[in-house]
Amino acid sequence: MTQRRSYAVGTGLFIVLGFSALAYLATQTTSVANATQGASYMVETHFANVGQLKTRAPVKIAGVRVGSVQSIELVPGKEEAKVTLSIDDRHKDIPDDSVATIFTSGLLGDQYVGIQFGRSKTPVKEGGEIGLTRPAQQLEEMLGKFFGGGSAPDRLGGTFHVTAEFTNVGALQPGAAVKMAGVPIGSVDSVVIKPGSSEATVTLGIDKRYSQIPDDSSAAVFTSGLIGSQYVAIQPGGSPEYLAEGDSFVLTQSALQLEDLIGKFLVNGSPSDNKSGGAQGSTQPDNAGKK
Amino acid sequence: MTAKGDNVVIRSLTQIGACGLFLLTILAAVPRSLRHGRETVRQIWFVGAMSLTIVMTCGLFVGMVLGLQLYDVLSIFGGTSATGTVVAIAIYRELGPVVTALLFAGRAGTSVTAEIGLMRATDQLDAMEMMAVDPIAYVAVPRFLAGVVALPLLGVVFCAMGVFGGHLVGVTWLGIDNGTFWSNMTATVDVHKDIVNGVLLKSFAFGIVVSLIAVFQGYTTPPTSEGVAYATTRTVVASSIAILALDFVLTSFLI
Amino acid sequence: MTDDAIVRIRGLTTVLNGKTIFDNLDLDIPRGRITAIMGPSGTGKTTLLKHITGQMRGDAGSVEVDGENVPALSRERLFGLRERIGYLFQNSALLTDFDVFENVAFPLRQHTRLPEELIRNIVLNKLQAVGLRGAARLMPTELSGGMARRVALARAIVFDPALILYDEPFVGLDPIALNQVLLLIRTLNQTLGITSVLVAHELAAVQKVAERVYLIANGKVVAQGAPDSLADDGSPWTAQFFGGEADGPVPFQYPAGDYATALGFPGGKA
Repeated sequence: MTQRRSYAVGTGLFIVLGFSALAYLATQTTSVANATQGASYMVETHFANVGQLKTRAPVKIAGVRVGSVQSIELVPGKEEAKVTLSIDDRHKDIPDDSVATIFTSGLLGDQYVGIQFGRSKTPVKEGGEIGLTRPAQQLEEMLGKFFGGGSAPDRLGGTFHVTAEFTNVGALQPGAAVKMAGVPIGSVDSVVIKPGSSEATVTLGIDKRYSQIPDDSSAAVFTSGLIGSQYVAIQPGGSPEYLAEGDSFVLTQSALQLEDLIGKFLVNGSPSDNKSGGAQGSTQPDNAGKK
Repeated sequence: MTAKGDNVVIRSLTQIGACGLFLLTILAAVPRSLRHGRETVRQIWFVGAMSLTIVMTCGLFVGMVLGLQLYDVLSIFGGTSATGTVVAIAIYRELGPVVTALLFAGRAGTSVTAEIGLMRATDQLDAMEMMAVDPIAYVAVPRFLAGVVALPLLGVVFCAMGVFGGHLVGVTWLGIDNGTFWSNMTATVDVHKDIVNGVLLKSFAFGIVVSLIAVFQGYTTPPTSEGVAYATTRTVVASSIAILALDFVLTSFLI
Repeated sequence: MTDDAIVRIRGLTTVLNGKTIFDNLDLDIPRGRITAIMGPSGTGKTTLLKHITGQMRGDAGSVEVDGENVPALSRERLFGLRERIGYLFQNSALLTDFDVFENVAFPLRQHTRLPEELIRNIVLNKLQAVGLRGAARLMPTELSGGMARRVALARAIVFDPALILYDEPFVGLDPIALNQVLLLIRTLNQTLGITSVLVAHELAAVQKVAERVYLIANGKVVAQGAPDSLADDGSPWTAQFFGGEADGPVPFQYPAGDYATALGFPGGKA
């Protein structure tokens, strides 16, 4: 029997060890460690856009976690999200005119709700509402602001179609913007290979409000900033005649590949340029070898 | 059971089918084996507690090597502060349950197969039958249950050791800030997704599969020393394949 | 004599993998006696014991043990019956996990809730009977073949069964151990009145204890009677078996095709 009892004791120890390891993992290495402890109260907020915010995301004041997102639901009949915040009872003194904002931790991190205090002396109550909110900033919009990409305008006035032929359209996609003087005036309808040649035919849908485009204007494929999307830019010419439905641009400038641009900076040109590859091979130093 | 002329596919299918039926036999015998609770406790000691050393050692080394590799790779992107997070997630979701199950199959599964096989070869199972003791309830079920209970616990211990190993390398040797290491980990690792669905659920499923295969191979082995040797090999091969295949299936459902 | 038979087998027919093991076999084991079942290797003597314990079932016929028809019993009833039957395995089949004491105590622990004190008394009593009380704390691997068989015997009689089946109890024993086992079989039979069935092929040993011998060959009982008279009853089976002839009704050659054909000679019977 002593033999059996020692097995029972050993097995018991083993099970206890296993469960304590589990408790350690669960409490010390996971987000449970950040979970609110004790009582909390609910506060309602409304956002026009919650972005990637998820339930259980942190709620922070001055960067310190004070609670978590309890629920996110769409307000019926409105383009608005109701976000319920569960805030720790220790933080009872949030002014009722505070501003709730959806922030992103770092450039690519998770989103959280940040509360910036207002000046009111009355704190927000259980079940109350933080009325002032700022919605999630979409990364695309922020980048768009930097790079001037912007989106295609609404086509309220109808469109007319003109075509342009490019030797290289780069990454131009249907739906990309068409701009004149940086102002969107239409969008790319289709990008197809012209039958029997190596050129691409791009059909542009241009708003009828901008029908006065000289017929000797040139079209170019540009890139918004360094990593932005590509668009078609129209540089007006001096002709008194205007482009009409079905016409095509005479002058076009193809897309510049980023690689080519960078290659121009380098003394030896683009190593991917196969046409002169044989001649360059002898003069080009072996970069890899030197490094 | 199967004719020698049958090809590999038919033989494998026969084995899988027989294994499935054996699972039903075992499950049906679970109520009858409740009176052998002591035997189950004893088997948890043998398959579980006796595997602790190998599981803890391997967990430590896996955590350490992960810490080292990740630090090396992440330093390219200046992201070494994420080392702890990635170590924890990699271990909780994949390496913990899978490596533990593979170790378990090698350490405990083989010994269960060999033990039952030898009991069969030396008539001990028949002797139990003759003493009016059901060998399924007394021999097969306790070892099966012990594996199902022990593997999740071993998996959790493996994970704890792995995180400790990652901390040892990352913080103590390579100088990642201790606070950064832990806070990034605690901010990202999720109890439900990474621990419950990762370590526990997977280990539980692997526990069922590995224990079933080990007990089945032992129970159906031809009662010769050659038969026992083959059965032991088959336990390792079949368990390893089953663990990795099941891991993929489970992951695709859980992710 | 057959009026009080503890085992009554009638018309037992068993076919295993296309091979007929028993062909309409009739056999009675008288209560309170020592009966030996003999026969050439491979005639299914052990299989016959397995029919008596219900581990195997025949294709036809009945096996009645202590008034119950074994093939028809439910699992619970069968287990109940087995508690009244002791079985001594050829290789002893001790549980290698446990020491000698726990091996003998195993059936008690599994089937009763006796206090530890009582279990200890019963086990030591049985071990004393087989002369191994001093070996109670040894593990099975530390025992010689003869000792292991005596421990297995102590385990088989721990419930004081009405019937003990001995499967090849004399195989691999030196003369001293063999005589110890013989003595035990006789003592158990005489002092406790336990019916004993021996499966063996050592004629000399069987003659010392058995009161009745069945000779089985080709799935049938080919001879039966007292061991002394059996050897010279004139049947070719007994003459070959007890005389130890290499060839006879039990052929030296395993059944095979024509030898010349197998060797590829053209003259063979095709």
